[in-house]
Amino acid sequence: MLLGAVACMKMSAWALVLLSSLPLMAQQRTVNGTVKDEAGEALPNISVAVRGGSAGTTTDALGKFRISASKGDELVFTSATHEPFSLKVDDRDDYLVGLKQSSSSLNDVVVVGYGRQKKVNLVGAVGTVNVDDKMVSRALPNVSSALTGMVPGLQAVQSSGMAGNNNASLLIRGLGTVNNASPLVVVDGMPDVNINRININDIETISVLKDATSASVYGSRAANGVILITTRSGKGQKKTRLDFTSNVSIVTPTRGQDFMDDYPRALTVQQRRTSVNTLPGNQLFKLGTVDEWFARGMVDPVKFPNTDVWDIILRQGSFQNHNLSASGGSENSNFFISAGVKDEKGLQINNDYRQYNARFNFDTKIRNRWNAGFRFNGNWSNWRYALAEGFNDPDASNTAGNDMQYAISGLLPYDPKTGYFGGVMAYGEDPQAYNPYTLYINSPSRNNRQEIQSQMYLDWSPIKGLTARADYALNYYNQFSWAANMPNQAYNFQTASFGSRVYVGANAGVSNTTATGFKTMLTGRLNYNRKFGRNHDVAGLLLYSEEYWYDRSQGSSRNDRLHPSLTEINAALTDIQSTSGTSSAEGLQSYIGRFNYTGYNKYLLEVNFRVDGSSKFIQGSRFGFFPSAAIGWRFTEEKFIQKVTDKFLTNGKVRVSYGSLGNNSGVGRYEQKETLANLNYVIGSAVQRGFANSKMINRMLTWETSTVLNAGLDLSFLNNRLTATVDYYNRLTTGMNRPSEFSIFLLGAYSPAPRTNIGNLRNNGVEFDLSWKDRVGKVFYGVSGNFAYNQNRLESWNTLLLRGNIFLQMPYQFVYTYESKGIAQSWADIYAATPQGAAPGDILMQDLNGDGRITADDRKALPNTLQEMPTTTYTLTGFVNWKGFDLTVFLQGSAGRKDFWLNIYNNTNFNNARYAASWEHWTNPWGWDNRGGSWPRMGGSGNNRLSSTYWLDNMAFLRAKNVQLGYSVPDKVLKTISIENLRLVLSAENIGTLSQFRGLDPEKQGDDNNVYPINKSYSFAINLSF
Amino acid sequence: MKIPVIHMRKCIILLACVAMMAQTSCRKELLDQTPTGLLDAQVFWKTEADATIALMAAYSAVRAVFNRDYYLDGHGEFTRCRGTSATSGNILRGDPYQGANYDPSGYGGSFTKYFQYLYGAVHRCNYVIENINLKMLPTATGTNKANLEAIVGEARLMRGMVYFRLISMWGDVPYIGKIIYNNSEVTALKRAPIGQVRDSILADFDYAVAKLPAKAIGLGRSSKPAALAFRGKLNLFWGSWKKNGWPELEGFTQSAAEAQAAFTAAAADFKSVANDFGLTLYKNGDPGKIDALGNAEILPNYFELFTPKANGNSEMIMVFTHSGTPTNPSQGEELMRDFSGRTVEGSQCWMSPRYEIGNRYQLLTTGDYAPKLVPLNPTTNPAARTTLNSAVNPNSYANRDYRMKATMMWDYEQCIGLNSLKSTGMSPFIYQTWAANITLLGVRYITYNTDGCNSGYVFRKFVRNYGGLGRSEGDFAWPVMRLADVYLMYAESSNEVSGPLADAVTLVNRVRARGALPALTPAKYASRQAFFNAIEQERIIELVGEGMRGFDLRRWRAIEKTWGPPGGPGVWLIDTYGANQQRYYLNTIDRVYQQNYIFQIPTTERDRNPNLTQNIPWR
Repeated sequence: MLLGAVACMKMSAWALVLLSSLPLMAQQRTVNGTVKDEAGEALPNISVAVRGGSAGTTTDALGKFRISASKGDELVFTSATHEPFSLKVDDRDDYLVGLKQSSSSLNDVVVVGYGRQKKVNLVGAVGTVNVDDKMVSRALPNVSSALTGMVPGLQAVQSSGMAGNNNASLLIRGLGTVNNASPLVVVDGMPDVNINRININDIETISVLKDATSASVYGSRAANGVILITTRSGKGQKKTRLDFTSNVSIVTPTRGQDFMDDYPRALTVQQRRTSVNTLPGNQLFKLGTVDEWFARGMVDPVKFPNTDVWDIILRQGSFQNHNLSASGGSENSNFFISAGVKDEKGLQINNDYRQYNARFNFDTKIRNRWNAGFRFNGNWSNWRYALAEGFNDPDASNTAGNDMQYAISGLLPYDPKTGYFGGVMAYGEDPQAYNPYTLYINSPSRNNRQEIQSQMYLDWSPIKGLTARADYALNYYNQFSWAANMPNQAYNFQTASFGSRVYVGANAGVSNTTATGFKTMLTGRLNYNRKFGRNHDVAGLLLYSEEYWYDRSQGSSRNDRLHPSLTEINAALTDIQSTSGTSSAEGLQSYIGRFNYTGYNKYLLEVNFRVDGSSKFIQGSRFGFFPSAAIGWRFTEEKFIQKVTDKFLTNGKVRVSYGSLGNNSGVGRYEQKETLANLNYVIGSAVQRGFANSKMINRMLTWETSTVLNAGLDLSFLNNRLTATVDYYNRLTTGMNRPSEFSIFLLGAYSPAPRTNIGNLRNNGVEFDLSWKDRVGKVFYGVSGNFAYNQNRLESWNTLLLRGNIFLQMPYQFVYTYESKGIAQSWADIYAATPQGAAPGDILMQDLNGDGRITADDRKALPNTLQEMPTTTYTLTGFVNWKGFDLTVFLQGSAGRKDFWLNIYNNTNFNNARYAASWEHWTNPWGWDNRGGSWPRMGGSGNNRLSSTYWLDNMAFLRAKNVQLGYSVPDKVLKTISIENLRLVLSAENIGTLSQFRGLDPEKQGDDNNVYPINKSYSFAINLSF
Repeated sequence: MKIPVIHMRKCIILLACVAMMAQTSCRKELLDQTPTGLLDAQVFWKTEADATIALMAAYSAVRAVFNRDYYLDGHGEFTRCRGTSATSGNILRGDPYQGANYDPSGYGGSFTKYFQYLYGAVHRCNYVIENINLKMLPTATGTNKANLEAIVGEARLMRGMVYFRLISMWGDVPYIGKIIYNNSEVTALKRAPIGQVRDSILADFDYAVAKLPAKAIGLGRSSKPAALAFRGKLNLFWGSWKKNGWPELEGFTQSAAEAQAAFTAAAADFKSVANDFGLTLYKNGDPGKIDALGNAEILPNYFELFTPKANGNSEMIMVFTHSGTPTNPSQGEELMRDFSGRTVEGSQCWMSPRYEIGNRYQLLTTGDYAPKLVPLNPTTNPAARTTLNSAVNPNSYANRDYRMKATMMWDYEQCIGLNSLKSTGMSPFIYQTWAANITLLGVRYITYNTDGCNSGYVFRKFVRNYGGLGRSEGDFAWPVMRLADVYLMYAESSNEVSGPLADAVTLVNRVRARGALPALTPAKYASRQAFFNAIEQERIIELVGEGMRGFDLRRWRAIEKTWGPPGGPGVWLIDTYGANQQRYYLNTIDRVYQQNYIFQIPTTERDRNPNLTQNIPWR
């Protein structure tokens, strides 16, 4: 959208130049001509004008034009798709003009699966993002987060700012399936590339294929849409061009956790909480301890610390991204070389991520009719972090994953004087209280990864219109993760001795894991493009492809490092060590076909199919067939309509597509194989092999299929100043591929239950994309917005559904909640309510079914509100350009989601020792002296923590995602220092969010314990070309 | 349109190339990927070794539903289970026990996962039994036949044990005795009456008794005395139910005659186990030596019995083995993690003795109960540590049953601290004084640290006092049948049949003697009831932490005896300081008592299967 704006602006600027030139008067006559492209095809719709004159026309469908001009006039040919061209009128009356395709004209040519199509002739629902100066100037840690708000119907949700783990989760047109619903990412024709490791500076364009017609050439894996990324080339460039972009940002949190940095007060909170059911003499914390800490804390911050934990484990982050690229070409070949480095310092201490990228793209004509080329991309990253989510680890096997709630303030994280890491000191405090600092400093995880993506192709055009092409691609990765924790022990500064808590034992070892693998893809294809007669354009594609994946991993660990400073596996004793390893492979075989027909440049037809065979399925249900068809009508090309609409409607097209897509992503590689599971036993002290039959295979398991109907309308008004696109879709996902539900009599032995085609889910939605661009005097401006609304409905489910937030004829994961009557202020309130074990200060629940009890049956469904994702997303972008200055404001928002704000940090029934109370625990809980408290009393009824409307927050938000002020140094100045383009930018991300959510961020889950904040960043960026 | 001939030819060549490519895929068997590292089901069940390998998996699955029975001790009144270390989703890490309630009341509806895994274990056994019976035994001869029959015997013993556990918790349960191939075979199952299930279990035990060797082929496998003991235990439970009734179980009738028959059969089996196989208590029942109060260099034999050092001794009639070498941690047990505090390899103290058990340990001098302990708070009462019979005065614990020191620690008792697999020296336990520096007799210590104790006592039983293995790497062979238990069960069943018998009293005294207690005074076996009380006392002390108490309370219908009648004040459980900790059975209605006598048939399954009826108190 942004790019559209820029391109359009450039055209307007061009027009401006035309207008301002002086008119030349001479003998007028009519000259004719034909405009063709490099392949000799006639080019319609090329504007032809006399420089400095008022005459102008466009070429017709056969590329012919007719204009009156006089000798010596300069004819200027411009179009959005081709490079401008000019010629002097001489004595001839008939001219043959050849235009070169322009590289910056991707607005009008859209990358689709295995090819490019003219946008005007597109019949599928495709959204495009052009990566321009404005995008690369932003402090975007990865491509997925760059997609936020760029295409209607594409949701990119970024729920953490953790360096190295801040990618956005992508979802096209709502939750397509209860299975894996992420879209397929294809980079330069190769599927399965991690979108987050692509250098954004290398990208030319991103296409988002949303409907069946556009995506069906990706068949079995396209059910959730496809994101096609095309990297840059030097095509069409005569001169070699160097580009340098650089972005330096400081990063701060949008919002953080407000832990109490006042330990005596925190102990008082503990006393208040336990006073509900414990006599003062039996409470863990004594008044004397509180008083002593209060008094001595003021003079001795080492023995009686009042630590601001959050402040200590957070720092100001930074983000830097520097990239240098060169591109160019000649008649026969072109290239693009780029190298970049990205460096992130996370908000959490010791959380760093650095990635290097290099790319070399090269295409050349090796003989007449023969072309070849290759793409090479390498990236290398080093990542250091403490826990999987930064401050937390959601994995249940990590029992310390949610210890952040135990980070008490009465603990000195580290004393630089002695070099000791503190432990608990107060009488009664739980020695297991958490010192996050020592974990982040002494026990970081490290992950180094290298990837190579390479591919080459050879194409051959034996006869006109026919191209045969073979592609081979190889992706390789190697990932090495290691940890070698530093021994350290909790120190008690009051007694000047080590406590019993050993954070990392003296036998600290080292663990290594190497994961490596590759993917290959071989494709052979035939393309046929031909025009028959005057008005019939035909294009065909046949393609065969084989994909193969192979992954393996190996891990080892040893206890007892020889010395803490040594971190390699050989620098540890061998008496306690372990190893692990595994491998797996997968194959996919595909046949693809496509047929396009364009008649009279206004009747459009496209038919696609793909047949996929996957090694994941057993013979008989291995192959899936995914056909689709689409028709389009450019009604503004019809004379009788043109007559009426000519004045305001520049272009109009209706299109309808229908087809099916598949999804096999949820199925494991060997899930459908009859294998025995290893279940070992011990005889004496020796481990004995054991094999058990743990699998029941569902022989009926087939592909999950989405059938999509898409109807769209593309309109452009007033000479493209106003453009609008509207899409409606109806997607029915049938046979969602999910683990079945086994009887409890089987689950203990046969687990997981085999996958089954469990049910159908329907997604309906509309998408609008509207953009207005114009100028007032020397000010160019534009406003664009997009809006997407999605609703889904679970239509069938072939096993029992009990009460819960998943139910038939309801949206998937609707809000299912207890209704709260608010906080009971008095015993009278309690007696007036259904008995529920409450006392004043507790939240009272409504007895909705009136059975005199509060049970799970009293929950209520909110059928139009989703808990996990919004129904509505929208963005609004505005820009103003004036004399080299440009200002862009980008707003993003969503609505239709509510979630419960219930996490470990706002717990009112917390542990009676080691709890990191927040200031809200001081001010918010209800009490006899705080009747208006917005939280229930501490230590109250367990119902206070139920998912009730009391904690239900509207997650709708409006966010100022990006504000950018740029200044392009004028050409005049640049010419003198032979620089082509220099733009200086100030940019800010996430500078403000309007939301009713009481928690950290409305894009996070409401019950999320992950406290890694979302980043707010301020950057300075340079775009330089020479 | 005309296409030049030369182009046509090229075109044909090209098409042929593409067609060839499509015909023969470049990678062989692209769509037939063979799993690496997973065994193809088709190549199995060929040799006797395969039968053993399948049996090992059955052992592993059955182990998983018995080796954390200690959590179930929380259903009694003497052990607190405040949570579990069981990892969800990992059968080798206690998943069957995960998520259940181990309080003395209100637990009956929470054992869905356990129920599920019990049936999982049944399938593992059926897989062995049916495959050997159908694929191997028909053609087997000689030793091969005998070996295969013994393997079937082991699998049937385990299947019987699993169903025994199922009926003792849920009463009537569906019986699955064959391999299941499809979910639809079990979606409409009905519950079989308990009597019918009991007959099937007896058939399994009978087969095992007939086919198993007198001595197991290896530690961790089973033998004939195990089969006999389980058959006896089934009859003992059956006798208890028939005698005391099980009103919560629909269709179950009380019958004194049937009870007598069952007790008689039980006594015969137990007697055989006690006499016919040369089995003795650990170290012949020698109590061993004991250290002075506060010291723990020398601990009684009863302590050693529950450490891996005693693995393979003849008292352990049937065990499930573990091997927790750090290189193979998934086979380890987590007794240390569950039974000790942070001081010992950062353990979590999920299990602890309740204060109330302190008074149950008898005096060496009288062989009877000591004066009642007096709970006192030393932070408010300076004399608490010295007051006579004070629960925080170490001297109050002098001259007690050796098993007390072997089982638990009170204030100023010490144990070995462990960290990073090495000893950190002795650590004294002082309630509410966690990880503090303290100097005792001139030696500096860091006190025992735990966040899991609320009674004033922690366990010593099951906690290794030497390093080398982590808290999840234990290699203790968990007993599911112990000779001491067989002695007590013999005493109980024979007492039900014919009152106190001399050989029964002798066996009870043998158990008492390992605690260095004097023999029972005649008054203690003067009547059937008096002897029963002595047996119950012995079961409480001898079997504490082994998960038996809840089952005993239920089969004796003794919940009311312990906690008072419905609607009453219940019982406050306290700590050595006298602070109220937890109160159970306050104002508890009849229905909850009933629910504590029988477990709830998992409702998730009943929602799907209307044939599956529910037990009375859960309707």
